Amino acid sequence: MNFEAVIGLEIHVEMNTKSKMFSNAPICYGKLPNTLTVPLDLAFPGTMPVVNKQAVINAIRICNALNMTIDRELWFDRKNYFYSDLPKGYQITQQQRPIGSDGKLEINTSLGKRTISIERLHLEEDTCKQLHSWDCTLLDYNRAGIPLVEIVSRPDLRSGEEARQYVEKIRSIVTFLDVSTGKMEEGSLRCDVNISLRPVGAKKLGTKVEIKNLNSFANIEKAVDYEIKRQEKVLLSGGAVTQETRRFDEGLKQTILMRLKTDAVDYKYFVEPNIPPIKLSEDFIKNAIDTSPELAEVKLARYQNLGLNDYDSQMLISNKKTCVYFDEAIKSGASAKLLANWIIVDVQSILNKEMIDIDQFKVSPRNLGKLVLMIEKQQVSNKQGREIFQKLIEKDEDPEIVKKIIGADLVSDGDLIGQAVKEIIDSNPQAIIDYQNGKDRAVGFLVGQVMKKMAGKANPAIVNKLVVEELQRR
Amino acid sequence: MEYLSLDILSLHQAILEGKITPLELVKQSLEKAKNDQNNAFEYICEKEALEAVNRLDPNKQNNLLWGIPYALKDNFSTKDIPTCASSNILRGYTPIFSSEVYLRLTEQGAILIGKATLDELAMGGTGMTGHKGLTYNPWDPSHKHMVGGSSCGSAAAVASGIVPFAIGSDTGDSVRKPASYAALVGMKPTWGRISRFGLFPFAPSLDHVAFFTRNVMDSAIVLEALSGRDEKDSSSSTVAVEKYSQSISAHLNGKKFAVIKEIYDSINNRNIIASFDKTIETLKQQGARVDFVSMDLKLCKAIYPTYIVISCSEATSNNANLDGIKFGPRFDGKDYEEVMTKARTEGFCEMIKRRFVIGSYSLFKENQAEVFLRAQKVRRLIVDATNNILKDYDVIYLPAAPSTAPLFQGEKGDKLSNEYLISDNHLAIGNFAGLPSIVLPLGFDKGLPFGVNLTGKRFAESEVLSLAKGIENITQLKDLVAKEGK
Amino acid sequence: MKNVDMPLLKQVANNLMFDMKDSEYITLLEEFDVIIRQMELISQIPGVDEVSPMTFPFDVTTDYLREDIPTTPVPQEIALKNAGHVVDGQIRLPKVVG
Repeated sequence: MNFEAVIGLEIHVEMNTKSKMFSNAPICYGKLPNTLTVPLDLAFPGTMPVVNKQAVINAIRICNALNMTIDRELWFDRKNYFYSDLPKGYQITQQQRPIGSDGKLEINTSLGKRTISIERLHLEEDTCKQLHSWDCTLLDYNRAGIPLVEIVSRPDLRSGEEARQYVEKIRSIVTFLDVSTGKMEEGSLRCDVNISLRPVGAKKLGTKVEIKNLNSFANIEKAVDYEIKRQEKVLLSGGAVTQETRRFDEGLKQTILMRLKTDAVDYKYFVEPNIPPIKLSEDFIKNAIDTSPELAEVKLARYQNLGLNDYDSQMLISNKKTCVYFDEAIKSGASAKLLANWIIVDVQSILNKEMIDIDQFKVSPRNLGKLVLMIEKQQVSNKQGREIFQKLIEKDEDPEIVKKIIGADLVSDGDLIGQAVKEIIDSNPQAIIDYQNGKDRAVGFLVGQVMKKMAGKANPAIVNKLVVEELQRR
Repeated sequence: MEYLSLDILSLHQAILEGKITPLELVKQSLEKAKNDQNNAFEYICEKEALEAVNRLDPNKQNNLLWGIPYALKDNFSTKDIPTCASSNILRGYTPIFSSEVYLRLTEQGAILIGKATLDELAMGGTGMTGHKGLTYNPWDPSHKHMVGGSSCGSAAAVASGIVPFAIGSDTGDSVRKPASYAALVGMKPTWGRISRFGLFPFAPSLDHVAFFTRNVMDSAIVLEALSGRDEKDSSSSTVAVEKYSQSISAHLNGKKFAVIKEIYDSINNRNIIASFDKTIETLKQQGARVDFVSMDLKLCKAIYPTYIVISCSEATSNNANLDGIKFGPRFDGKDYEEVMTKARTEGFCEMIKRRFVIGSYSLFKENQAEVFLRAQKVRRLIVDATNNILKDYDVIYLPAAPSTAPLFQGEKGDKLSNEYLISDNHLAIGNFAGLPSIVLPLGFDKGLPFGVNLTGKRFAESEVLSLAKGIENITQLKDLVAKEGK
Repeated sequence: MKNVDMPLLKQVANNLMFDMKDSEYITLLEEFDVIIRQMELISQIPGVDEVSPMTFPFDVTTDYLREDIPTTPVPQEIALKNAGHVVDGQIRLPKVVG
């Protein structure tokens, strides 16, 4: 009996807007608990929700990237339940009329391209943070009310690899759209998996198991692959899969039972009466889409047009911040290939060593771009270029200034060099004879002498050229 | 001279002329509040009021409400002033922010002298369920008759002459019904006309900020002071605010009044009907047209159940934040559920809990279509029927209630009779449709007042106030203050 | 409509995080009786299921959206001053499991 896995993913994306979804409390990280709230976040009686425009714009942009139908009116609902992290006793969400519906996303897998259908995308708000200690739980309302977007796929995925590719693609979209930092390990991107098995060719769905609290893309793939095998074993042995919620244990590399899933909770949804329906005009939607930051695919195409090869372009688009850096640096006029190389190799090795992201890199893109251009134009030698780079890492400033400081001003003046060349050749008649006898190392010797005479500041390529020309004249 | 019994314009004039200072006025009002016999106050803001008078900006004294004391129902948030909505679950709660209504009144120089009692969490119509006990009707010194609710304290404060105006909230009739029982003008404007920011929500799709005064002009003044868009309340309207106090004209010639026959017929009190009929005659004499129109009896009977289902459902959700964790009395327990359950069991009165259960039941997935959603459908039918009538008429005109103020120990009555279903609850139409609706005194029966109700088209407050003024001119009942021991 | 009996009412109350006295459940049962009959009145209204449910009193569709500009947050002590049990700037609850 061959089984196929039927997998659906629910992804929550935490938005990095400046203020919350329904309140104007600020959003920042690393602050002391309960220092980023306004009365609405603690659900004081009489407070009222007001919808954040940027959150809506962000949602529209994601819907567009996922080819979704966008609802022209925004309606919100209340999801009613009691829990320690839910201040109002309900969450404002969009149940009946999600802002986005019926989308699709193409993913690349080792077995080729696949199109995954997306059922819905809606706006909602985050709950407060709970710090569990051994004998109590502490509540921090800083997070309460942060905008979330929930993206629900249809159960079109079939393997752990597909699940991972799907989530990585979503992450790419939300990071490139500047909507979220998309970090699973920090909780700004959360993924729940629903997975069941059925005999290949069967229409009816098997019993669903939910896997929660996954904290990395790799773990998504591992958890799904393990769960498929686990369910297969159960079914092949004649047993039945029970409806449950499981988590993935990284150490054991297994999914572990968290709790049995009881009947679905009745959330008693009804329309949020404090938020009248909001009309999204065609202009508003079009503007949100037209002013959208570039998606990774668009950048990829652009980089390839600039002459970057597949490897280099993929390396750049693997991280939106790298693209931002590159796009800024290339304004200097440096060649794409050279600049990309500097970033992918030289800069990246520093980032790896210091364990920082490129937006924390000391050297500004402007200055790096300038440096690369200088090297390209042979205003400094490669060696001098690296020396300047090291100096920039210590203190980020205009490489022209650093060039002067280290005395790396290469002389490229043909007359000046020509002068020195003539003098050196005049004083080395033996070299002329050697050259005429076919001994090419005479050139190297003469070049060395010229460089010595010019205290190493001459452009070696030009020196070489002029030496050869002069020798040919003699 | 009993300044606190004056109408607002006269009081304003007296202040400008220096006949009385805001400080003297506020002190008088505070004194009366402290001697109040009707349980009208949760909290008397003595310290805060005296400080506020000190802070009055003389440059603003042309504001009609400058220096004038008022009461605010205790379900409006007031920063640093205890607010508990007459419920034990909010004992000790001191808000850290203020309602928009309070902010606007403060900005115009009005002085808050007390937070008024209400039916707990505004969910009631008798003035009996507040945690401090019954609020009495100033028109009955023997304390046997209620002043109604839920804005009982606000009504009592104005009716007994403590303040010339008081703010309440009206979700089904919570200002207009007490106004009828207390010889006051009770006005509920269009939904969204006044910001609800800071008003503890009972049922947001039905909630309105509303207020008591003793005459129609005063209502216009208060309405003008409170109205207008507030971005903190997404449902507040951007429709322009008119100068209501200047646009009242009491001309009745050519105006069209519609009396809904089914509601009229459900009222059995002959005195009320006689007084009402008399005004109809006078209206006609003054050139108005008064017609009896029909609304499907089934719809009229459906008003109350529709109201109960929608309001209880929304209320259940709105009050889910009251759990003793962020504010209110905190209890210990072995887990968060126990903490919440103890707070909510101890904090809510039984009637509230029953309403919550009704609301929750209405929202069950299995029941929603038949209960909650159907009630919302009936709402639409009632609203459509009402707006249909108003297409051809300026106002709907009816007695406000089927009786004068009931006894606390009165008979409950048949909950399914027309009298109960229709006549006692028809004011809710104004909440379903969000229409401006006003009640003003019509007469007295055995010493207790009864009122008449006008409901107009949405945002037609000027028209409604004008017609109400016309009625006021006919009845000559205004500025009525219940005297102690009378 | 789900059948209303004592166990159901108790369950609903408990899900709403409160308890009631036994006598109150009886009162509630009686109230439900009336309400259910009133709801039956409603179901008999001609054309009731042909209209859509109404949430708002009239068409209140707006196009207003709040600009994403953060405000000054409330200081921690003020935000928590009404909370009964505060530890380390956070509200304390018994340990939450599951």
